[in-house]
Amino acid sequence: MNKIMYLEFERCIGCRACQAACRECGDHDAKERNYVEYVDFTESRQTFPMLCMQCKDPACARVCPANAIQITDEGVVLSAMEEKCIGCRNCTFGCPFGIPKFDFETNKMYKCDMCYDRTRHDIAPMCASVCPSDAIRFIDFDEMQQLRRKRTQMNLVEGKKPQEGNKWDYVPEFFGVYTDSQS
Amino acid sequence: MYKFERSFYSKTSMYSFVVVMVLFFSMWYSTSRFVHIDMALLGYAISSAVFAIGLTIRMSFWMWRKATNRVAKRSVDNLFNKERLKRNSKALVKTLIDNIILQKFIFQRGIYRGIQHFMISWGCIISFAITFGLTFGWMRFDLIDPETYQIIVFDMPTITMAAHGVFAEIVYNGLNIGAIMVLIGAGMALYRRITDYDVKVTQRFEFDILPLIILLAVTVTGLILTIQYTFLDGWMHHYMSLIHQVTVIIMLMYFPFGKLFHVPIRPLATAVPMSYQEVVKVDTKSCKSCGQPYSNDDQIADVQAILKSQNFDLQLADGTYLSDYCTGCRRRMRALKQMNLEAPKGNPYGPVNTNNGIHISGFSKKRSEEFYGLDQDSKEEKIDEPVSR
Repeated sequence: MNKIMYLEFERCIGCRACQAACRECGDHDAKERNYVEYVDFTESRQTFPMLCMQCKDPACARVCPANAIQITDEGVVLSAMEEKCIGCRNCTFGCPFGIPKFDFETNKMYKCDMCYDRTRHDIAPMCASVCPSDAIRFIDFDEMQQLRRKRTQMNLVEGKKPQEGNKWDYVPEFFGVYTDSQS
Repeated sequence: MYKFERSFYSKTSMYSFVVVMVLFFSMWYSTSRFVHIDMALLGYAISSAVFAIGLTIRMSFWMWRKATNRVAKRSVDNLFNKERLKRNSKALVKTLIDNIILQKFIFQRGIYRGIQHFMISWGCIISFAITFGLTFGWMRFDLIDPETYQIIVFDMPTITMAAHGVFAEIVYNGLNIGAIMVLIGAGMALYRRITDYDVKVTQRFEFDILPLIILLAVTVTGLILTIQYTFLDGWMHHYMSLIHQVTVIIMLMYFPFGKLFHVPIRPLATAVPMSYQEVVKVDTKSCKSCGQPYSNDDQIADVQAILKSQNFDLQLADGTYLSDYCTGCRRRMRALKQMNLEAPKGNPYGPVNTNNGIHISGFSKKRSEEFYGLDQDSKEEKIDEPVSR
């Protein structure tokens, strides 16, 4: 698997189809695990989608006292194992991006697992497959690199020139799961 | 103490040694110096000792984790704090009843799963209590007169019972009752694991299904033993008891290293009402940015300490940590950073300017001059540079 989840926040139109799709995914128990939120509701209606980064060294797993958050061979950070999770919510506070959700009724944490049953077989996750404005995409690594290059060119056309100190501000967010093998 | 520790290969081996010694002396004491030892259960006794070593090693390594250590330490500190007596006792009783005896949260996940887990856990607890009690000689039966049995616990005579009374029958059949409970529960669990598509998403054979098969093997062989000595006059009983012993030993060896290890780590759940969230869904610490309560000071201090001890650098330019903000604000900060929309320097908590100069609303508007100022001095740029918050 060498596919990338590619987010473009500006493209989000706030339809929340991704959340509805997330609820339908296997093992998601009819609860969405992604977010669509307003940047600043008083300022504009701009929304942005938010998913888990699937960190290589996840802070949520590091702060879990029960060692309940596990990473698959493919690098997907799974929800807390139900039998181990003691319901302390440390992961929701430890995560630098505020991703894990907590269910007080069943006393367990749940988070984006990139629709593990789909992405394991290279099928796009639910959110990416329904997004009408391509704010969330599940694409090849090469396609992502092309998009990033295009984005940089657009910035130049628009009169924004990245400099050495801030060039990363001009690159859209990308994340996903990497493996060394190309299989 | 230091010298004692130095005489072992590691701390873990020292703990294992202490545990085995405690077990050995408890056995020695409760069988009144090995007079009443049950030699038929010697194989179980040895495998239980190895099981205890395995459990000690796993628990030591688990406690050595930075996160576990910190949370457990705070819980122990709070436990012996006299001012917290009321809160502690309430938390302990609540966790014991809700999480361990009644297992309410699993019934919330579904009545089927609730019954299944309740059956397995209580069947196992009953069976383990009886098995360990008998193998280590902590509990034995003495015939005080031809019609009366007495239960002797740790070499101290306790209750007496009629040899054929109802209570006595329940006690004799304790293992059978436990086995039937486990059989029902593990059967239900295995059925769910095989048929439920949702569960299949993340389940692994060696982690989720193997323990069920092992539990089923133990209970089925154990129940066959009962059938053999009650209905078949002990036919093949000897061979079956050996097979049963082998399955039990496999289970005991597997216990500390597989899914069943969640049993000894469960009591840490007491830490949640005891040190963190006293009342469910009621928080006391408020977010630095939006002011909404989202956690409490002790927990955030713990999270920050755990992250710091593992070299996670999540400190922002103004000295706050990311965990000082609520999850919603953290998500927003990430999106703002990514879209170059952060608030200008001076008031990091002020309103956000969502117009970043690339997309201008309307056709008649012009971009500000600074947008085109490509050749600015580095000094000027630094003033305009957005700050992280």
